[in-house]
Amino acid sequence: MPPIPGSGLAKGLAVTLRTMTKKTVTAQYPDTQPELPPRSRGVIGLFEENCTVCMLCARECPDWCIYIDSHKETVPPAAPGGRERSRNVLDRFAIDFSLCMYCGICIEVCPFDALFWSPEFEYAETDIHELTHERDKLREWMWTVPEPPALDPGAEEPKEIAAARKTADKLAAQQAQQSEEGGTP
Amino acid sequence: MNDVSDVALRLAIVFVVFLVAPLLVGQTEHKVMAHMQGRLGPMYAGGFHGWAQLVADGVKFAQKEDVVPAAADRRVFQLAPAVALLPYLLVLVAIPVGPGDGAVGQVIDAGIFFVLAVMGIGVLGSLMAGWASANKFSLLGGLRTAAQLLSYELPMLLAAASVAMAAGTVSLTGILDAFEWWWLPWQIAGALVFFVAGLAELQRPPFDMPVADSEIIFGAYTEYTGLRFALFLLAEYAGIVILCALTTVLFLGGWHGPFGADGLGWLWTLLKTALLAFVVIWLRVSYPRLREDQLQKLAWTTLVPLALAQIALTGIVKVAIN
Amino acid sequence: MHSVAPSVLAAAVADHPGFLSPTGVEIAFVLVGLTTLGAAVITVTTRQLVHAALWLVVALGGLAVEYLLLTAEFIAWVQVLIYVGSIVVLLLFGLMLTRAPIGRSPDADSGNRWIALGVALASAAALVWVVVDAFRTTWIDLEGPAQGSTAVTGAFLFRNWVLPFEALSVLLLAALVGAIVLSRKHDTDTAVRRDTAVRPDTAVRPDPAVRPAPDPADRRGKEEQS
Repeated sequence: MPPIPGSGLAKGLAVTLRTMTKKTVTAQYPDTQPELPPRSRGVIGLFEENCTVCMLCARECPDWCIYIDSHKETVPPAAPGGRERSRNVLDRFAIDFSLCMYCGICIEVCPFDALFWSPEFEYAETDIHELTHERDKLREWMWTVPEPPALDPGAEEPKEIAAARKTADKLAAQQAQQSEEGGTP
Repeated sequence: MNDVSDVALRLAIVFVVFLVAPLLVGQTEHKVMAHMQGRLGPMYAGGFHGWAQLVADGVKFAQKEDVVPAAADRRVFQLAPAVALLPYLLVLVAIPVGPGDGAVGQVIDAGIFFVLAVMGIGVLGSLMAGWASANKFSLLGGLRTAAQLLSYELPMLLAAASVAMAAGTVSLTGILDAFEWWWLPWQIAGALVFFVAGLAELQRPPFDMPVADSEIIFGAYTEYTGLRFALFLLAEYAGIVILCALTTVLFLGGWHGPFGADGLGWLWTLLKTALLAFVVIWLRVSYPRLREDQLQKLAWTTLVPLALAQIALTGIVKVAIN
Repeated sequence: MHSVAPSVLAAAVADHPGFLSPTGVEIAFVLVGLTTLGAAVITVTTRQLVHAALWLVVALGGLAVEYLLLTAEFIAWVQVLIYVGSIVVLLLFGLMLTRAPIGRSPDADSGNRWIALGVALASAAALVWVVVDAFRTTWIDLEGPAQGSTAVTGAFLFRNWVLPFEALSVLLLAALVGAIVLSRKHDTDTAVRRDTAVRPDTAVRPDPAVRPAPDPADRRGKEEQS
């Protein structure tokens, strides 16, 4: 059956009228903050305690926007007669956000989970030099990092938890065996 | 002396309405269009839902430099906005809002002819602006305006003539006095033709080929800045008010309403006008722009025959009644 | 030139009840008449084409005001609707579509100035003579019921002047049909020409392969220059 002439026009009017009665999608940004999901690429936070100054992030950065200074300290031997160990101590960790292109490679390569994405994005400056943020600022941002989203149901277990559980299982098995051995005599 | 003050009061009221009503329509357009597109529209100016947005716009326009292009024809260029705007002010004087002679700026014997004639002058402003700007896009816009007016003036006149035939008078108050509710279905085709042709004369979307921004920037108004530009915009919105009020008076019975006290006729007129203004905005949001040839085709192959058929129908019914 | 007749008429009107005490309407009539005359003169003498058309608007509008002052309201609005709203717009449209330079057009003057002036004066004289002779001491009562109202004009036109009215209608219809016929004939002509132009054996198609490629050396040279 051919469409009634003008039905298309009426349909167009209906669409706009229906949209008018619906809730708008405009976010009133400065008045209400946007709800950004975890891992939104707002800014990079640094969890200093995890950093070993391995320099992987600085080397992988395509923009060379991460500056790291460190020195070595010798740590007295843990046991008497043992060897002295040397440890890297972080002196400076800065990211120049005027160069950063938010690719997230540094976060991906960090083997010790010291870098995180934070959804915080309001750090515009009037001078480009002020966009180089030092470790204290990066640490402040660390506290704005939200909890990662829950895993999908039926997803593979996270590696570290799997490893921890394996160890725990092994220990439990050992203990059980020991108590069995101790019980038989 | 009483007469003089009466006339002055009426003119003052008409002038205030002329300044306020277009702003109301403009603000409604801001908000309605925004919500039809899932947006909020202006929210800040004036505090409450951006009610003062157009006031702020006016202040902004007043602050801008008034530029006249070097190659332009200075006097014609500067005169054009006034020519575009003033006719609508004149038309507003003749539109009856309520029953009786008290609710109209000035009773005019040949009302229909007056309003249509004076509205036709407004287009001269666009033509003058387009030519005097010394800009190819402006000239194209002016030409498109003129072509559009030439083709849509005819169906508009014919549709208005149909009502005049039905009422047996060309006075706007006379037409309203003669109005009966069954004119609504009787004149429906004429009403559609009148409204559509009026939209085209105002260059409102979907008939905004003369100001098609993707092709010719802003048509005849491309070179205008500051207050003169604002006057052109004001003319467009005043045109919407006039068109809606005219359609109300001619086809929808003006102050006649199904219920309501005698003194509240003007409320019906305003309500119907506002409703039509909403439709104007609604159409703008819903439809894409018509191409120039589609525009001409619509006028000559659809609207003119429809208007002629309406006149024939009016004549037949009129004779049958008598 | 049309305005000559009304202003003379105005003088005649002012003459009768006392030349020294003209009413406000009469003064307005004369003033508007002079303005109209001035606009008409500028229309025919200006060298700027579009300005001429715009001055014509002023002249025609002034004429409408004169009609209004003579209480012929209907005629006044029809004058605005037809002449100012349509004819002049059509005129301007035609001008702008063909040629309408900003500034003076040196060729806007024909060599027939004096002849034109003679014709204009002759026709003005004829009009004045006819009008004065026809109306002489006829009076328009400005205070009484409007004598040029729509109802009166309609009754007059369709009772006394139906035959000329219909004759004019037929004339206009003939002109309309003629115009359509002329434009249609032209249309088929071009259609036939277009047909022959695109016939495959005569059409020359541009071959993309032989299109001259831009010379890289040339371009490099330009870049260096810039």
